Amino acid sequence: MLSSGSVARAEDASSWREIETKYIFGFTTGSGIGLEGEKEVTVDSLGRFGKRDGYYAASETKYEFEFTPSQFIQIEFGALGSAHNISNVTGLDDRSQIALGGGFAEFRYLALERTSNNPLAVTLAVEPTIRRIDETSGERVRNFEFETTVNADIEILRNRLYAGFNLLYEPEVTKTSLGDTQREATAGGSAALSFRIMSNVVLGGEVWYLRHYDAANLTAFTGDAVLLGPTLFVQFTPKMFMTAAWDTQVWGREVGSPLALNLSEFQRNRVKLKWAYEF
Amino acid sequence: MAIMTRKLVLAAIGAIAMLQVSPSQAQQATEIHLTYSKGQFQPSQVSAPADKPISFRIKNLDAKAMEFESTSLRVEKVVAAGSEGVVNVRALKPGRYEFYDDFNDKARGALTVQ
Repeated sequence: MLSSGSVARAEDASSWREIETKYIFGFTTGSGIGLEGEKEVTVDSLGRFGKRDGYYAASETKYEFEFTPSQFIQIEFGALGSAHNISNVTGLDDRSQIALGGGFAEFRYLALERTSNNPLAVTLAVEPTIRRIDETSGERVRNFEFETTVNADIEILRNRLYAGFNLLYEPEVTKTSLGDTQREATAGGSAALSFRIMSNVVLGGEVWYLRHYDAANLTAFTGDAVLLGPTLFVQFTPKMFMTAAWDTQVWGREVGSPLALNLSEFQRNRVKLKWAYEF
Repeated sequence: MAIMTRKLVLAAIGAIAMLQVSPSQAQQATEIHLTYSKGQFQPSQVSAPADKPISFRIKNLDAKAMEFESTSLRVEKVVAAGSEGVVNVRALKPGRYEFYDDFNDKARGALTVQ
């Protein structure tokens, strides 16, 4: 591995194929929208671990089909599987369950394309999601979320070094099993840096700043957090790749609480693992 | 309300698609003819004017299929052995756009748009 890495360093990166940037930044999404006519099936798992006390592990997996019908638009849709393993966490019921969590669709529009003369690319995306299982608690709910993001990236060194940036606004409304209606929103942004160490391997790091509100219009601030972690992208074959990322909360605060970190709205750690096959 | 929202979303998607498709279809495309033989593009360096749609016509003379693909052009198309494939590309800004055979790492080419 080391010797092949040394060979890779000696390689001229200008001879490498251009890389699709959508998945090289971990939780941060790049601007890529795929190739016209391309179809892809993916399994995309997001794990969340660690609350203030007890044991907390939850995951949500997207079973996803995506396709690119034009050179500017990408569409994705699929089902969500959710799993929860919770015990002795303050404010949450103990639970051990696996369930069909809901469904989602995503629409991506490439607003600014990269060329050899312009290193910046920007994509606008919306992702409506319906859930029957609450992401955090695992309770039966009716939840509707409308994630909107700006996905931008810059090629800093040709075929080698990339920076990615996301802006996020994610309002949601939840009707609980008791009939209560809760409105909330998450907003924030990220910055990521990814270095292509071999033609098919990209390593990097990212930082997220997230704010949570108990209102969709961002008026009832409840807390914020900073998450930081490494990212990995591996292209196994021209048609198959994986991406992985791990973020840990390095700073956070909850309104009205003197404790460090925000473990009410966010988790101590989150992990992403995605496998994709194109055809 | 839900029906109206759905209609608005569909209208927005349609409008965006029209914005991108109509100009390409309205203008005369620049045709670029490529042959693929012995695992290589001929010619491998081609050029085209900026702000005009482009139509690649790729004739695969080899005995196995190839896939014309380009990340920067955002297109891909499998061309069967002994057949011809057409790939339509939007009007492009000036720059260099690489293409390759996704089944053969050594087959490369580039389009220069001026």
